[in-house]
Amino acid sequence: MIAIYLCAVIAVYAALRIITERNTMRKLPFLNVISFAVTAIIALLVPHPLTILAAAAFFVGSTFESNAIASTWSGGMKRNG
Amino acid sequence: MLDEPARILIAAALCWINFVAIDVFFNLPASGGVCGATAIAQEVEKGGGNLHGGFMLGNIVSSPDASAGTLLAACGVYCAGLPGGLFAALLVYIGNRICYDPGYAGTTGAITATFIVFGMTQIGFAASDFIAGMVIAILTIQGISHVHSSRLIARLWDLRNRLLGVNP
Repeated sequence: MIAIYLCAVIAVYAALRIITERNTMRKLPFLNVISFAVTAIIALLVPHPLTILAAAAFFVGSTFESNAIASTWSGGMKRNG
Repeated sequence: MLDEPARILIAAALCWINFVAIDVFFNLPASGGVCGATAIAQEVEKGGGNLHGGFMLGNIVSSPDASAGTLLAACGVYCAGLPGGLFAALLVYIGNRICYDPGYAGTTGAITATFIVFGMTQIGFAASDFIAGMVIAILTIQGISHVHSSRLIARLWDLRNRLLGVNP
């Protein structure tokens, strides 16, 4: 039971670090910590075989969003031609 | 048997070793996989950190690597036992392909983590300990001090290159 509260505390801590960090690119690793914590909370709250699909979908989706934010902020994809 | 806080701390140490060893072995600190990862590394370096450690932080943000594999494998074992962990490895591989990553580090991390978590559940640990442990492990790398964690990763990457006899 401690596990789920620990994940929630870590998620709130990472959210506070995002608010206090001024540099946008350096916010993203903290956002990554929140994705990990929320994925863990989803799995811990709903112990059902299908939960793994929901947790993986959430995690891959949030990673892809971070990827898109970082790439756009750094000047967009470099295209050939 | 051990109390839950002690089990979570041991699980966190095992998860940390599993994902850092696999990420460093698969050369994540060598360069940024996408331009966003490179940009994060440059900002970490500007803040006083190490560029190669920053590449690994950026790559963890931009694509599901061994850390994501370890977390999802622990979730898989928690929800559906050993088959759940192996199914999580498949999902990590698909996630890697979506994020333009070859997927070796994430898939390997998920498979090794599945066997570690399943093995430890046989000797009195719970899979939920590893889920919380992995969140603590990622917090130490991504969420406390990017300067110190990037320097630590760079030192481990140097050690890896020296052991394998590779010049970066």
